[in-house]
Amino acid sequence: MRVIVNFQHMDTSSPTVFVNAELLPMYVGRKVRAVVQVTQSDGEIKTGKSTDERQLIIKGLPQVPPMTHVEVIGIAESEQSIHAETWTNFGNTFDTQSYNQVCQLANGDFKGLFL
Amino acid sequence: MFSSSQFESNSAFSGGGFTFSHQSQPSDSDPSPAKSRETQGLVPVTVKQISEASQSGDEKSTFVINGVDVANVTLVGMVFDKLGRNTDVGFNLDDGTGRIGCRRWINENFDTIEMEKILDGMYVRVNGHLKSFKGVKQVVAFSVRPVTNFDEVAFHFIDCIHNHLQSKSQLQGVTPIQPQSVDMSFNTPVKNESTGYQTAPSTQLSGQFSSDGLKSCDQLVLDYLQQPSSIGQEKGIHRDELSQHLKLPVDKIMYSIRALEEEGLIYSTIDEFHYKSTACG
Repeated sequence: MRVIVNFQHMDTSSPTVFVNAELLPMYVGRKVRAVVQVTQSDGEIKTGKSTDERQLIIKGLPQVPPMTHVEVIGIAESEQSIHAETWTNFGNTFDTQSYNQVCQLANGDFKGLFL
Repeated sequence: MFSSSQFESNSAFSGGGFTFSHQSQPSDSDPSPAKSRETQGLVPVTVKQISEASQSGDEKSTFVINGVDVANVTLVGMVFDKLGRNTDVGFNLDDGTGRIGCRRWINENFDTIEMEKILDGMYVRVNGHLKSFKGVKQVVAFSVRPVTNFDEVAFHFIDCIHNHLQSKSQLQGVTPIQPQSVDMSFNTPVKNESTGYQTAPSTQLSGQFSSDGLKSCDQLVLDYLQQPSSIGQEKGIHRDELSQHLKLPVDKIMYSIRALEEEGLIYSTIDEFHYKSTACG
């Protein structure tokens, strides 16, 4: 009897780095994830507040209600902007401080668990 | 939910079998902490940690993560490539550190109903058994729940880090005070997620550390002082900054500072309120 098995391979080849505004410059050109609170909308280009309270520019986001927290996953285009590929609405009551700490820990002492 | 029929059909389908003999009680109420690490409940891990895990024996044995035997894990990530069949539902879970295949056997109506709600692109919490099939690691999930409060995402990764630190300190022979109580308190909010986990992770964590005793507080203070940004500061870090950042009362910070100073891990700089790590960073 021949059994055909569909393998779902483990893939750690393209991890998504947790970033805030401070860490973003280190990962230009790489896939990153960041949570921003959308403050301004100018068509395709949105301005948002990062979890470390600085400004980030997000491209490719559709219309999002203002002041909502959005997790953006995409390529870091520059030291201050991300081109979004996927995004998730994290709601209005999101603890940005905790997420910011995760960014710091995931890029610092505990990088081995993430990247 | 955990009917015995589920376990039997698992052995039938997996063709090599993995035993749930130690798995009769997947809850966290185990009273003997050090005896068997396999009964420690769900271990929070990242896919990266799983990819680096080794197996203690053959394919049927448990995995070793952080130097500890791990059988059951909990993960938080996004669902991709969901494929539903008559007997099971398979999908890939991407938690940002990597992707791993997951499979949920469909034995009862409950399984079908739960998996129907899961869609591609959704953030979910997966609880399951880690196993290897022909060298490929995968998770056999017994619970897949959508994340509704996204603080759970940050919480999960902090949980992974905490567990990593705990396992490390236990390996070094330092027994933390009441490890089981800490595990329970971390597992409880996870399991009650569907009934409304509203507490922000930061307050949850600081609450747990204070009931755990001083060991974890010491580690928190030491970690903070060993950060490159802290080491870069000539005059060290003021204890108020530690209290503020770690969200712990000043007297707890001072207690930890004294303990760390005694062990030679930190030293005071310009005055009795500023401290630096002795590590070179």
